[in-house]
Amino acid sequence: MNAIERRGLIGAALTLTAIAGLARPALAQADIGRAANFIQTTGQEMVAAVNDQSRDVAARRQRVAAILRRAVDVDGVGRFIIGRWWRQASAQEQQEYQKLFEETLIRNLSSRFGEYQGVRFSLGRSQQRTEDDVLVNTVIERPNMAPFSLDWRVAEIGGQPKIVDVIAEGTSLRLTQRSEYSSVIQRNNGSVGALLQAMRGQIQQMAAREGR
Amino acid sequence: MRPGSDSRRSLPHLSVDVIAEGHAVMRQARIPLTPLGRLWAVPLLAGLLLAGCATRPPASDPDSVAEYQQNNDPAEPTNRRLYAVHQVIDQYALRPVAVGYRAVVPQPVRSGIRNVLGNLRTPVILVNDMLQGEPRRAGDTLGRFVINSTLGVGGIFDVARSQFGVAGHAEDYGQTLARWGVGEGPYLFIPVLGPSNPRDLVGFGLGILSDPLTWFGQGAVVNGLTWGRSGATVVDTRESLIEAIDNVNATSLDSYSTLRSAYRQRRNAEIRNEGDVGSPAAGGTGFGVGTGAYERR
Repeated sequence: MNAIERRGLIGAALTLTAIAGLARPALAQADIGRAANFIQTTGQEMVAAVNDQSRDVAARRQRVAAILRRAVDVDGVGRFIIGRWWRQASAQEQQEYQKLFEETLIRNLSSRFGEYQGVRFSLGRSQQRTEDDVLVNTVIERPNMAPFSLDWRVAEIGGQPKIVDVIAEGTSLRLTQRSEYSSVIQRNNGSVGALLQAMRGQIQQMAAREGR
Repeated sequence: MRPGSDSRRSLPHLSVDVIAEGHAVMRQARIPLTPLGRLWAVPLLAGLLLAGCATRPPASDPDSVAEYQQNNDPAEPTNRRLYAVHQVIDQYALRPVAVGYRAVVPQPVRSGIRNVLGNLRTPVILVNDMLQGEPRRAGDTLGRFVINSTLGVGGIFDVARSQFGVAGHAEDYGQTLARWGVGEGPYLFIPVLGPSNPRDLVGFGLGILSDPLTWFGQGAVVNGLTWGRSGATVVDTRESLIEAIDNVNATSLDSYSTLRSAYRQRRNAEIRNEGDVGSPAAGGTGFGVGTGAYERR
């Protein structure tokens, strides 16, 4: 290879890098903006619902649940969490799992957030794009408490931004939960039915608790 | 555990708090005991590691093999037994003491104690900042130590944070070893100490050995102070984790694997120095004080 050819190649490589460098951030910014907007809007709705003094606890919780159902990719998260056991489950088990998972997730998140009286939230400093989705950082403040940070993983599901994971200080909800569910199935000799039974028990407990 | 058989564990658990709790709980690891007290772990561990091993799934089931490798918990049966032991110790000793401490000692005093413990940790944090080649973080740590030890009256008040806006961070030798490329090794659960692994356990030992206070003076008074510091650290840490651990116990379908997963994730985030949100307070010990997701009381 002579010097000129080499220079040409280097030039081409540099040009390509420059184009990639220009194109990438533009694409990323658009997605990040959309995801951050979505979290901002959803967060404001949640805060308004949680702090709405004109309603009682049960009504607040219901409003929070409705917002969550809209904002979270419940089916996708459920599938991710059950992971490899999905294929081992019968069609009926799959259906029941999705139902129980949605109820567990929504009930649990709404009862938690429903208690966050006086909560304030704001977008944090780092919003970053990963391979398939965007991580939106938020800071949650409650009276008398140190502020803490939550990262929301937002993906495009059917053309709409949806929450697919929550990460608190490096710990992902869906990864932790996947490990837990898999362990329950494994320790019951690979029975998905055992997990469903445990989830049913859990929901009963939740209902009893909320009824108090 | 048979699902649904234990009502305590059949509660909701899918919540942000639980995540927070999970990683808060793992901060239970590396609670420093006094130098002598720490040695018990070594023979105990060696014996236990030999005692029980998980069965490796057959190669014909690649999914199981992948999960087995990801869990990286070859001593799981033994670890689970140790976890059960820990739960008993916690139920009858650690938690009641922590609850009593919260009830008896007013919040400002507890904050002061936490700050002092955090300040005492700074020499080890500083060394690890430097070993990791982080001059800025080292500068923060040094500055905090000087300011808090003087203006903060021996570390009681975290004025470096409140007046100068320099928040603390935790660091330990386990993280430094990881930055140097040392792998974590198989998962270990050690009663009282919590979730760990060989790398973090070695780091824990180095933390004690390199702490100037370990070697400072001798005699009854010094011994008393050393024990007092260790005891205070255990109580303070457990107090900061009361809600966190209660929630994991109440809501996880399998708290052992919840903690295992959360510990790994949390450690990896710490190693990458992500999310220094909370104060290093008691976590001056390397594990922070929880996410602040609970009201101070």
